[in-house]
Amino acid sequence: MRAATIAGLLAIALAAGSAFAGAIPADSIPTILVSRQLREAQGLAIGDIVSLSSDPTGAHPQPFRIAGSYEPMPNPMLLGASRHEVRLHLPDLMTLTSDETNPLASESVDAINVAVPAPTDAGALAQRLASRIPGLVVRSTSANDDRAAPFVVLERFHLAIAIVTVIASSIFLLALMLMLVDERRETVGILRLIGVRRRRILLHVLAEGVVVAAAGALFGIVLSVAFEGGINRFFQWRYDTSLVFVRITPAIALRSITFAVPLGVAATFASSWTLLRREMFLLIRR
Amino acid sequence: MNAFAFAARSLIRQPGRSALGILGIAAVGALLFDMLLLSRGLVVSFRDLLDRDGFDIRVTATDAGPIGGPRLPHASPIAAEVAALPEVADAVPILMSDAEASHPGGPPVAISLLGIDARSGRHPWTISSGHDLEDVAAGTSGELLVNQALAASLTAALGDEIAIRVRCGPGRAPLPPSTFRVVGVAEFPFDDAVQLSGVVRRARMAGACDADGRDEADMILVSSRQGGGPDAAVSAIRRRRPDVHAATNEQIVARLAVSRFTYFRQISTVLSTITLLFGFLLITVLLTVSVNQRLGEIAAVRALGFSRARVAADVLWQSALLVGIGGLLALPVGVVLSIWLDAILKTMPGIPIALHFFVFEPRSLLLHAVLLAVTAVLAAAYPIALVTTLPIATTLRNEVVS
Repeated sequence: MRAATIAGLLAIALAAGSAFAGAIPADSIPTILVSRQLREAQGLAIGDIVSLSSDPTGAHPQPFRIAGSYEPMPNPMLLGASRHEVRLHLPDLMTLTSDETNPLASESVDAINVAVPAPTDAGALAQRLASRIPGLVVRSTSANDDRAAPFVVLERFHLAIAIVTVIASSIFLLALMLMLVDERRETVGILRLIGVRRRRILLHVLAEGVVVAAAGALFGIVLSVAFEGGINRFFQWRYDTSLVFVRITPAIALRSITFAVPLGVAATFASSWTLLRREMFLLIRR
Repeated sequence: MNAFAFAARSLIRQPGRSALGILGIAAVGALLFDMLLLSRGLVVSFRDLLDRDGFDIRVTATDAGPIGGPRLPHASPIAAEVAALPEVADAVPILMSDAEASHPGGPPVAISLLGIDARSGRHPWTISSGHDLEDVAAGTSGELLVNQALAASLTAALGDEIAIRVRCGPGRAPLPPSTFRVVGVAEFPFDDAVQLSGVVRRARMAGACDADGRDEADMILVSSRQGGGPDAAVSAIRRRRPDVHAATNEQIVARLAVSRFTYFRQISTVLSTITLLFGFLLITVLLTVSVNQRLGEIAAVRALGFSRARVAADVLWQSALLVGIGGLLALPVGVVLSIWLDAILKTMPGIPIALHFFVFEPRSLLLHAVLLAVTAVLAAAYPIALVTTLPIATTLRNEVVS
């Protein structure tokens, strides 16, 4: 079967479909699959007879029976586009779109999908085929694909946004830690008065920073996981797609912790250091 | 001392904390500003790109659009009919196709080829050097305009002859190349950074495909007559030719805004919300901790006769100063950040050089100011509640006892 976008290639004349229903035995009518979006938009049901035409005006329609409905392959490049699609058997599509003035049309396809017994041989086979048949573009699906380029760029964009967010968060964290440490000014002064060394206090503060930063990072991950389903459901509803928009993987969670904990500890250290450098009597002065 | 001066001195008294608060607001404000620029950037930029060529209406075979959609048959008579309408100033059919270009005997390069009829000097390109294609009376001439990238790729100079093999469509046998002469170098508004483009007369391009007089076009570019406007021209075209699809640039942009451009608008909305929430939390925490550390001082000034409204105004002014200064700093930071982010997104393949994701509009600045002002007021709400409900005697007693 082969997909064709109705808007681009085929005109669908649903009302005319009923005219064929009595004229041709149902068994001899070729079958098609319709996308879920098209089925819902047009109120189609399995077994319905519809007519398709390759002419934008709907001329020369041919009847087809809906054999089933399918969920189109999620494609980020088609986000927001109406996935009104049908899949036909290749010979049916070639008959439907045949061009009498062009004898090559009935012998032409856009692409041939090839499955190789061992996927690791795909690259070598692609090279061999390309060298044997000049003018043919042969590409392994596992090779670097230009179609992935937009998503690589989007990933870079999201990374840039993440960097800005981390900078803003770090400033926020530093401000917060400065205030919290300042609240402990007297406590630190008293500890210094009774003989506790700066190094010991600093270690204590750092340990506390690690605990707080780790707890914060874990809470952030838990929050992300909790939002993951909601965000996906919202955008899947918004764009009528089964595409997954947010996926919290262990690698992403680990990367977040790797960023967050050292940043938290650094903020704790920086804010505490300014306090510990002060003279003891300045700390306990009211 | 008025509330503003009092709030300013309170912030100056704690310079480190205030500076960090302002920097934090500047960072989130810059991100917010950028997201506001992004929310409509593509739409504004794309509309500007469409308007730039002087045509305000596009006529196609169906509403599928010119790329991937069916071609308009009998384009010349349709264009003539459209051009004859009193609401229309000009109608120019164009044909687009992939092709291979080479110096005779040299290696071919893949190019985008545009075939165009010209009834006036209006066309979607700007000549950089050489001269324009000759007029329609000699429409079958083999003149070729190339963009700078194609000229460089072929090392073609003005007057050079270039062999072009037009890919006439799927299922059509490749034909021998036709020879064209480079008469000028032009800039095409929809070219991306690596695109190799050329333009020839449509009749010659169709001839290169041996089109048997099909007279097809992917699109007819139409400019409306001044005074009537594009909407009146579109109505007239629809009345005259109900079998074709005519849309103004505004309608095309509106359709793209709800289909292809939605991703960036959604991400802009999500990130704007997050940055505002972040800014709100930052200011609320800063002010709340600051107020908590100054409860004794606030109780003392209340005991001296400061009203509840006055201490509330102090806190509100502090919030306004933090957000105001941070918001102002956010603008230059946001501009620099938007240039960086725009450069990242423009590396996406197929994005025209002249298209921008982040576009400044006065409304973005206004919205930025309004959102930050609302954030400042909301962030001050809790600390204001703390200072206005502060029990003066108890607080002073606790302060003395501690």
